[in-house]
Amino acid sequence: MFEPLITAIMFLFSDGLNFFYLILGVSVGILFGIIPGLGGVTAIALLLPLTFGMSPEQALILMGGVMGAVSAGGAVTAILLNTPGTAPNAATCFDGYPLTQQGKAGLAIGAAASASAIGGTFGLFILVLVLPIAKTIVLWFGPPAFFMLALLGLTSLTVSSGNMLRGLIAGCLGLFVGFVGYDEIGGTARYTGGSDYLWNGLSIVPVLIGLFAIAEMISLFVKGGTITTQGSQSSIRFSDTIQGVKATLKNYKIVMCGSGIGALIGAIPGVGGVVASFMSYSFASQITKDNENFGKGDIRGVIASESANNAKDGGGLIPTLAFGVPGSAEMAVFLGVLILHGLNPGPLLLIEREYTIFVLILTLLGATILSAVFICIAAFYLVRIAYIDSSILIPSVISVSLVGAYAVNNTLGDVFTAAFFGLLGYLMIRFDYPRITLIIALVLCSLMERNYTQSMIMFQGDWTGFFRDNTAVVLLLCSVVALSIPAFQSIRKKKGYG
Amino acid sequence: MRQWLLAAGVMILSAGCSESNEGQFPRENISIIIPYGPGGGFDTTVRVFAPYFAAQLGDQVNVLPQNMPGTGGRRGTASVFRADPDGYTLGILNMPGLVLPSILGETVDYDLRQMSWIGRIESQDFVLLVQADSDIHSIEDLQAQDRITFVSIGYGATVLAAIQIIAEQLGLMNRDPIFLTGYEGTTDQLVALVRGDGNATLSPVSTALQYIESGNLRPIAVTGENRSSVLADVPTFVELGYPDLSQLNVQRLLAGPPGLDSAIMALLRDAFLRAIDDPEFKSAAATAQMDVAPLDGELAAVEVDANFNFYEKFKSNLANPN
Repeated sequence: MFEPLITAIMFLFSDGLNFFYLILGVSVGILFGIIPGLGGVTAIALLLPLTFGMSPEQALILMGGVMGAVSAGGAVTAILLNTPGTAPNAATCFDGYPLTQQGKAGLAIGAAASASAIGGTFGLFILVLVLPIAKTIVLWFGPPAFFMLALLGLTSLTVSSGNMLRGLIAGCLGLFVGFVGYDEIGGTARYTGGSDYLWNGLSIVPVLIGLFAIAEMISLFVKGGTITTQGSQSSIRFSDTIQGVKATLKNYKIVMCGSGIGALIGAIPGVGGVVASFMSYSFASQITKDNENFGKGDIRGVIASESANNAKDGGGLIPTLAFGVPGSAEMAVFLGVLILHGLNPGPLLLIEREYTIFVLILTLLGATILSAVFICIAAFYLVRIAYIDSSILIPSVISVSLVGAYAVNNTLGDVFTAAFFGLLGYLMIRFDYPRITLIIALVLCSLMERNYTQSMIMFQGDWTGFFRDNTAVVLLLCSVVALSIPAFQSIRKKKGYG
Repeated sequence: MRQWLLAAGVMILSAGCSESNEGQFPRENISIIIPYGPGGGFDTTVRVFAPYFAAQLGDQVNVLPQNMPGTGGRRGTASVFRADPDGYTLGILNMPGLVLPSILGETVDYDLRQMSWIGRIESQDFVLLVQADSDIHSIEDLQAQDRITFVSIGYGATVLAAIQIIAEQLGLMNRDPIFLTGYEGTTDQLVALVRGDGNATLSPVSTALQYIESGNLRPIAVTGENRSSVLADVPTFVELGYPDLSQLNVQRLLAGPPGLDSAIMALLRDAFLRAIDDPEFKSAAATAQMDVAPLDGELAAVEVDANFNFYEKFKSNLANPN
């Protein structure tokens, strides 16, 4: 194991161009992460032709740079505009944006960037540890286990919504939206009204742009003024960002938990980072003491979400490298890059190209840390967004987001989807329904339905089959525990008062 | 400011000049529509092929891959079908993936038999697979199984249709096999088989190769007229007495909209044949593990018709099994 590692390090330092590609990748990644709608998928697809003349390792450095930086960039938008730059940053909005409103955007960005860096490093560490047994882990998850995992994801939603009834309504709405489109097992198109646009179902990015970016801008328009009224541009201090970094270091337990959850969930193909960061957030908000401030601007919320968010990338590489099964849309495009350069992901890649994999791992490590440093430096300027008058901010954000929505699939329909969900999102803000619940239900819907049907086909209609699958049983127990935590807490509180 | 105006004027004039140069196809960039998202097999095919195709079309033009995913490839295909037949919009088309919807009774906004076929780039044969530690070693063993569960991609996919035709031809349907569909891609299927979700599946040879070499899966038989060069000791269905099954494969063909001008068509077909024969393209294709199987435009059109007839013949076997 050490020999290929050393060869990989030697390779990285052998050519200055390698560092240029890394920095280029990181810069593009941060930029695409910050702009809502543009994300890792678009960045990798756009950079792909550039890699034609490169060696496979150099191509990996460029793409690794992008992948390691995108989610850190997305956190900035989540904090400043309450709009996740990429889907997995959604949970960062909960506490990041209230902090911005309180004039503490620098603190939040510092914490998010440093939590990303530590989480990302931790995720890669786990990747290196489990690579030898990656195959076994992937094989644990069959249809019954995936179904239980989706169930666990939905369970953690209802637990963490402030108002359970409204949380459930938003969740059901998400499930309903998720049912739209072609059902591959049943072979029928559902709720498409005959339209080709709805055949594939609604993509997550335009829905996300509508629910967050556009809804937030409508809400700001109604309110008027600037995002924060605390302090002014001249009161921005670089030391705020440093305070954020310190806050992350102080809450190392949350960082560790978040990274662990992120790496674990990331390793499971199809679930994606949205669930990872959200689970980490809800876990942190339940187990920490003095948790009344979660959702109102507790820095620990930002730390929990962002540490999981970056750790998931390390985990996400496990199924991608071991089996060529992409864990997310981003990984699917990345897989294309690997194949184009003759690195056929699958059981043999891990054995035959160990050195190449270490180049990728080291690149991701470099990208994670480099992006955190870049963002901390840029935070000083970025924070000014909170003081820009809404008459300038709103048109800029809306036009950029709509272009982003269009760019995902080059479809005009996605622009209308974003606009529709923008209005819905505003109504949800106005009447206090949780938007993230809708998004997560939407993400989990097809996973849950497909794997339930597949399980039932496998068991030939006998539902007790779920209890014969070990992984499924463990996940079901986790759901039971997650559901009973609030009940236990309220019993304990009553006893305390009584 | 004046300099800018001057420069702009020169540009407009020069554009006008090239405009008057009629008949010199191609004068602008050519796009190849990929009806699927970035990162997949069709995407890779076009991205590898495009630069060599462009080189044969002259120094002035680029060939630009353009992803247009949606509706299982039908959206992109329909937009190639409707494009102006000027040779500047082409598409990489999936056969039989795009033949199947109309066979299965869906309405589609294109007619493959009217397309202007430029040529075939790839053709992949299928291999029937079981788990490496399974007690199934041959077709006969499979036919003797009490419980056969095929893992497959969802309804409408080529792989499922091919599995259904194989099951019918091998006489497995009276054993009431289970079709465990809904997997998202070929690799997902293979992993599902390794895990034991079912006990047999079908996959393009090149995708399955790694899993066979790593000792996870065992090949039983391959489609195609001849044995696969990489799986030389695996019998073909033809050898085993099932000649119809030789026609099961996945092909990637380059096409333009119907009614393409014959001069432009000849030019494109010519450039296609030269590009596909370029040794540099061949080595790039080998790196990307493509199954290059060139066919000129006329033969490609014949192949399309043969495909329609083949799947039409087995239409009654292709209803959704779930």
